[in-house]
Amino acid sequence: MFDLLALLPTFPLVGFLILMAGSNSLPRRGVVAVGVGSMGLSALLAIAITVNFLSAPPPGQVFEQHLWTWFEIGGLAPGFSLYLDPLSLAMTLVITIVGFLIHVYSAEFMRDDEAFARFFAYMNLFVSLMLMLVLADNLLLLYLGWEGVGMCSFLLIGFWYKKPANGKAAQKAFIVTRVGDTAMAVGLFLLVTQLGTFDIQELGVRATEQWPVGSTMAVVAAALLLGGAIGKSAQLPLHTWLPDAMAGPSPVSALIHAATMVTAGVYLIARTHALFALAPVVLTAVMLVGLLTQLTAGISAVHQRDIKRILAYSTISQLGYMFFALGVSSNGAAINHLMTHACFKATWFLAAGAVIVAVNHEHDIFKMGGLGKKLPALFWAMFFAGCGPFFSKDGILAEVWFSDTGGPLLWLLGLFGVFVTSIYLFRLLFTVFLGPLKNEVHWKPGRAITIPLFILAVGSVIGALVEYPRLLGYHPHSSGIEAAHASPYLHATLGKIAVGVALTGIYVAYRLFVRHRHYDGDEVIVPHIRVPLRNLFADGWGFDRAYRVAFVAPFRSAAHFLRNELIDRGCDAVVAVVQSGHRLIRRTQTGRLRWYTAGIAAGAVLSLGMVLFS
Amino acid sequence: MSRTDLTALSPLLVVALAAVAVLLLISVRRNHRATATLTLAGLVLGLVSISWAATVTPHQVAPLLIADGYALFYSALVLAAAVVVCLLSFDYLEQRGEQREEFYVLLLLATLGGLVLVGASHFVTLFLGLEILSVAIYVMVAYARSSPLAAETGIKYLVLAGASSAFLVFGMALVYAQTGTLEFRPLVAQLSAIEGSGLALPGMALMLVGVGFKLAVVPFHMWTPEVYQGAPAPVTAFVATVSKGAMFALLLRFFAALGPGEARPLLVVLGLVAMASILAGNLLALLEQNIKRLLAFSSIAHLGYVLVAFLASSAFGDEAVTFYLVAYFVSTLAAFGVVTVLSDNEREAERIEDYRGLFWRRPLLATLMTGALLSLAGIPLTTGFVGKFAVVAAGVEASLWLPVSVLALGSAIGLYYYLRLVVVMLSSLDAGAATESAADSGRTPADPGQTPAWPRAARVGGGAALALGLLALLLLGLGLYPGPLMDVIESSVSPLR
Repeated sequence: MFDLLALLPTFPLVGFLILMAGSNSLPRRGVVAVGVGSMGLSALLAIAITVNFLSAPPPGQVFEQHLWTWFEIGGLAPGFSLYLDPLSLAMTLVITIVGFLIHVYSAEFMRDDEAFARFFAYMNLFVSLMLMLVLADNLLLLYLGWEGVGMCSFLLIGFWYKKPANGKAAQKAFIVTRVGDTAMAVGLFLLVTQLGTFDIQELGVRATEQWPVGSTMAVVAAALLLGGAIGKSAQLPLHTWLPDAMAGPSPVSALIHAATMVTAGVYLIARTHALFALAPVVLTAVMLVGLLTQLTAGISAVHQRDIKRILAYSTISQLGYMFFALGVSSNGAAINHLMTHACFKATWFLAAGAVIVAVNHEHDIFKMGGLGKKLPALFWAMFFAGCGPFFSKDGILAEVWFSDTGGPLLWLLGLFGVFVTSIYLFRLLFTVFLGPLKNEVHWKPGRAITIPLFILAVGSVIGALVEYPRLLGYHPHSSGIEAAHASPYLHATLGKIAVGVALTGIYVAYRLFVRHRHYDGDEVIVPHIRVPLRNLFADGWGFDRAYRVAFVAPFRSAAHFLRNELIDRGCDAVVAVVQSGHRLIRRTQTGRLRWYTAGIAAGAVLSLGMVLFS
Repeated sequence: MSRTDLTALSPLLVVALAAVAVLLLISVRRNHRATATLTLAGLVLGLVSISWAATVTPHQVAPLLIADGYALFYSALVLAAAVVVCLLSFDYLEQRGEQREEFYVLLLLATLGGLVLVGASHFVTLFLGLEILSVAIYVMVAYARSSPLAAETGIKYLVLAGASSAFLVFGMALVYAQTGTLEFRPLVAQLSAIEGSGLALPGMALMLVGVGFKLAVVPFHMWTPEVYQGAPAPVTAFVATVSKGAMFALLLRFFAALGPGEARPLLVVLGLVAMASILAGNLLALLEQNIKRLLAFSSIAHLGYVLVAFLASSAFGDEAVTFYLVAYFVSTLAAFGVVTVLSDNEREAERIEDYRGLFWRRPLLATLMTGALLSLAGIPLTTGFVGKFAVVAAGVEASLWLPVSVLALGSAIGLYYYLRLVVVMLSSLDAGAATESAADSGRTPADPGQTPAWPRAARVGGGAALALGLLALLLLGLGLYPGPLMDVIESSVSPLR
């Protein structure tokens, strides 16, 4: 059974190839069969592998599959090798099952798009590369997947490329993440040159042997990997690309920018935890980045009007929670939140996509209202899905309280985030679905849309009751859990407080956005906050503006200057030299036989002369 | 002649017999398809017989010819190229009226000449092989008798090849006067025995003229654009590959036998020739508007690249030379193959404008052409990249810094005109109304009257499709997975040093 592991990324890859080759000739039905079918096969296989993994676990809960050696040079031989353990299994399940449901949804959602086949081709390629990322047993293969999903993200954000803004958003996403990717590549090179292997497990072992805790090398390497994770997972200060990435179709936002790709950073840190454990400073940085991101993005989410941007900021904030958990070494809680959040946010994005289409491509939530009566399925799916993450977040908070590196103060800050989260989520829900009807609904989602939504919502609710990663056998060592088990009463009390805070948040949202109806004008968002501050929050704390001033503008003016002055002049000179060389030497091709014969004779004389007089 | 001799010579014998058989067939009955089939059979049989000959290697046949792994590898290369040219020629000639059957006799003879060259271990066989090859090519180049261009091309090639052969023979005479032998090994032994080489070194310097002409390197290169342009496209493919490859095989064999002391002054000359070829070839190709001429200029540069690896004079250099030649064969045959199938009986698809928007009209052909051009430019994933990598590695290993830097510079210039062609193929059809004039050819350009939607040539015939498919496979296959071929080359060049 495990030997079929390699088929997981292969199915969507084959789907991609077929769809690309037949993009013009395949009928829509065929596109759906290939695009969704390949994902279905992958999802089924993933489930079968999981069942097998749980009923007859491989020795040490690890299964390795070496497919072939990529290349061998300088004693390094990175392979196309897959590594299945509870962590990668958890990620694989999210990618394949959530991915499959989103593909089913897309079959209806994208039905009238002219580039139907291209859409599914990119989506299939994305899933294939994402699986490669999480299943890779060495950093190089992981990096291949890492860059590959970045490329797919670029292609899909700019999927409707005829609108220039979408192309700009795609470029922004690509360039901003590139900052992190560069750091990650440097970190990768550093690890390989210092430790002499690409293999992730082996790297961990060698790093622990060679580097003492807190040594400079370990700190630098971990910090560089963190850079990559920050870029990919849209954390402070590289988070600015994610809100703009909403330019892509809603299924793309759900799959790539909520459930899978943006969690790659979380996965990376969890996967290379051995290295981070050697660098406590960097772990603290992970925690601080997560905490700050969670707070700032949460507050920004409260001030957005665009339904998808609310969800984008919410995603950034929830990813912040995962980093927060990683920072206090609670990897289990982080991955648990990752899985629940994947179900939850996929549901919300997909439902938001359906709402947007239903109200004729309106994005502003304050121009919607009362849709609950018209689209009850969407409302209830969102409502139930919204419950799951609160509980997985409680898990994180409890561990923060008890962890060696955490503490009550950090817990309190995290708790504030819970309050903010429930405000912005229910603000969206109440504004869009309750109150008087404001829109004409001239489209109702079909079964291909509602059924995936409900399955995802159920997945989110179950996530509130059980811990998925623990179910799969992923329960890494963490100081927080042990301490929590030592004092069950306090643990339970903390959980109750968190639930209480969340309910308070919901109540506040209800008061503000249902009872008092701040629906029009500038008062809509959160009352009693001064306008300049509100604008700052709505702008995402001015990061975009700061980057424009600090990086984009100087770079552009420098480019402009150099283009017209120095560099361009130099390039022109090269061209001019080469062209005049061409013109000069072309004159030798006269077409005259006597001239050519003379050339041969001259060559003979030259050759003879050089030999004789050398 | 012993049985072993016959076995060792079997590829030559098969091809020679095939030539006779084709002649006889033509005298009995003119049938284009039957003639082509018989030729193909002869060439394929020749390829098969190589494995038979390999059972007796290494084997010296008289003092004249040697059948070792090296000779057999190049024989296989020559025969395989001839098979491709034969397949391409069939459809090409099928469209054209005149007597087509004799072409195959010439093709077989030229191939035979190439086979003799790669197996030569004696100046007499060198000269014989060269002349069998050249005389057949004179006629093949001018095969389209009715066109004045063909006649002009034929005459030019005849006169220049004759002149260079004269230098070659004179050089041989001088070497003979000094050493008293024409056989490679005794000759080399003599050279190292005598104090100061006397007449032998000037003799070999003059021989370089004949060799340089066949390889089309600066300053013996000026015939190339004319002949490439004037000859029918399949013949151009043959001239570009077989005749140069066979000559290079011989050059390598001779210099590998030559001691480093004797070779030194000649290597200096060849180093200069290599650098001049790289620069001149790439510069000449830069703004060329005629594809056949462009490929001619680029081939000058490519032979320069191969010479860099040749200058390394090491076992690895020999491997690099051989791999590069294989890559060059594949890419050049693919490029000219596309030119051939796009040409019709009115004119050849040689103007750069003929290729505008080819991707939208003939996606497969355009893809293959792109692959061939990228391979020639040495872009990764293609066989040309592996070849160039090997050449540069060999040059660096031998610390040939100047030639290697010139190579890098030349490649950079070369990238421009290869990619320009790719861009033209990708651009949309209507964008090309403003055609740059094609006036920079050496003779009066073809009638520029009407430029119809070109090319109009219909489907690609079965044989040509097979050949192009094979080439496409090799183009990518050898680029992705060069290991096995490298191993074969390594073992086949090992008898040299």
